Amino acid sequence: MVSPRVVRNLKKEFRRSALAKVGLVLVVGVLLVAVFAPFVAPHNPTEQDLDGKQLPPIGFSKTVEETSSELVDGEVRTVTETTRIEADPQHPLGTDPLGRDMLSRIVYGARTSLLVGVLGTVLAAAVGVPVGLIAGYKSGRVDDALMRFADVSLAFPSLVLAVALIGLWGRAAVELPDPFVSAGLAPGMPATFTLPGTVIVVVGIVNWVWFARVARGEALSIRTEEYVKAARALGGSDRGILLSHVLPNAITPIIVLGTVQIAAIILLESALSFLGFSGTTLSWGFDIAQGRDYISSGQWWIAGIPGFAIMLSVIGVNLLGDWLRDALDPDIEGEGGG
Amino acid sequence: MSVARFVTKRVVQGVGVVWGVVTVVFALRFVTPGSPVNAVAPLDASQETRRAIAVELGLDQPLYVQYLQYVGDLLRGDMGFSYVRGQDVARLVFLKLPATVELAVAATVLAIAISIPLGVLSATRRNQPADYLATLFSLGGISTPNFWLGIMMILVLAVQLGLFQTSGRGVGFPGVLAAVVGPEPFLDTLLSWLSYITLPAIALGTYFTALITRLTRSGMLDELGEAYVQATRAKGLPETLVRYKHALRNTLIPVITVLGLQLGTLIGGAVITEAVFSWPGLGTLVIQSINLRDWPVLQGCLVIIGTSFVVVNIVVDTLYAHLDPGVVYD
Repeated sequence: MVSPRVVRNLKKEFRRSALAKVGLVLVVGVLLVAVFAPFVAPHNPTEQDLDGKQLPPIGFSKTVEETSSELVDGEVRTVTETTRIEADPQHPLGTDPLGRDMLSRIVYGARTSLLVGVLGTVLAAAVGVPVGLIAGYKSGRVDDALMRFADVSLAFPSLVLAVALIGLWGRAAVELPDPFVSAGLAPGMPATFTLPGTVIVVVGIVNWVWFARVARGEALSIRTEEYVKAARALGGSDRGILLSHVLPNAITPIIVLGTVQIAAIILLESALSFLGFSGTTLSWGFDIAQGRDYISSGQWWIAGIPGFAIMLSVIGVNLLGDWLRDALDPDIEGEGGG
Repeated sequence: MSVARFVTKRVVQGVGVVWGVVTVVFALRFVTPGSPVNAVAPLDASQETRRAIAVELGLDQPLYVQYLQYVGDLLRGDMGFSYVRGQDVARLVFLKLPATVELAVAATVLAIAISIPLGVLSATRRNQPADYLATLFSLGGISTPNFWLGIMMILVLAVQLGLFQTSGRGVGFPGVLAAVVGPEPFLDTLLSWLSYITLPAIALGTYFTALITRLTRSGMLDELGEAYVQATRAKGLPETLVRYKHALRNTLIPVITVLGLQLGTLIGGAVITEAVFSWPGLGTLVIQSINLRDWPVLQGCLVIIGTSFVVVNIVVDTLYAHLDPGVVYD
């Protein structure tokens, strides 16, 4: 599967493309932050401090003028009060409406985004790839049935189907113990991490058909190759041929699609959390939703910063995807997803 | 095969897909925990209401009768009754549909108007500053959550600069049309409409602008390297004609295919854009229905959204057949 030629192409493309380097740095960065969140986050992301709420990020300290009218000795006087809201170096990215540290929430939000993105994609591929390979390899009726089903599936937008399913099923979530905290390495950090189970299952369900389509297309062309014919003539079983010949030769476009899908699912997860359909409150989309009510008063950072976090992660994954596509197979159609 | 027969065939296939959509929506009734009555009845419904709903859904009948009844009702344009809102579902859904269509069309027009010239510019000035800027823009565009972009635009352009409205639809496009013949001042109505629709259209359209820019750029680069382009150049055809008549036309073919496939993303994007801008369309209705547990309305929205997807794809395929003389109609 990973032949020396593939490695050579990857290296060559990487050396040539500055964007590939940026993508790798971004993805590795987000990955490290997500894994080691309890050490990176300066505060517990769920700890409230109502005395220090809505603090601006460093560099955005501001003066607020409040004008009020007062009745003094039977006369109406306008009093202008000037308050200075100073940024707190303890909270470099400011705090949210409940005084929780924005930087720590961004750090923990990376866990949710990456876990849902990767697990959702793995689930979609685990369902879609076998179905697509079998349909393409067998062709005929199985294939027809799959393609018709795929047509129907595509008629429902991912987001609409996802909110409908979550609305019907509820928002189940699994509490996972944080290994670093249980080992006593990161005192004061949340002891458990919420994995939004329903969201992962649902994004897998709504996206598997993209994998099925790509796997089917590959299998359709691979089945006519000489080596497959030879394997069949030698009495190889369908299962054996699929696993040892068809899958390895179909894997490149599937991997490329996988990166596109991770990006699409990170965006989908943020949209679901924004709409309140996630099972966790530590998510970038969720923070954007709560910051939305504060933009009219100019507190841009509560909704603004999580958006930059989403954008940087998705740009990273997309750049990595472009790199893989250009290095592995310049002929693949690059834009599937969402 | 003639174009007419091709279109007929696509329509027949489309009817099949719509049938599938209806069947899936019917089946979704059974993924709700507990009796399907739970999904239809308001939470505080009395036993009598619940029994009446069970009879209306035909739950005392065998499954195939329930199914046939559901399909039959839909064919007559009956999408059921929303007990939560006390309203007819079909009426409600068709009342909200035009707003969503308006938003989706505005976003698409905006996306096409910007992306195709930008993609062409990017390809013809490869590795020049304009190309880098366009590439950067399209990378950012496909990576930005549209709801966040919407909120940031509200912050800067609507709240701080006061250039646009923060929410709502205003008179809508029908209002603008009415002003053409009616007594309202046309220019004011048009400007008012623009103040409502511009931000939602940009929020929804940016992803597509970016996507089509990318596709147009890579498509143009491929085409401009082809032998026929060299030949038309050698023949002495002006460069503009070479680019726009020949290369661009061939580039648009894959662009249109992807657009059709991505239509679901557009409708999904409309749902969330509507939520950000309180745009009174189907998306807002979908979210409200889920929060109110108003299943009949959600079901109606899903059927309409699935059907629209199929209809627009037939239109796209017909366009495709029109653009590409080499297309095999099967």
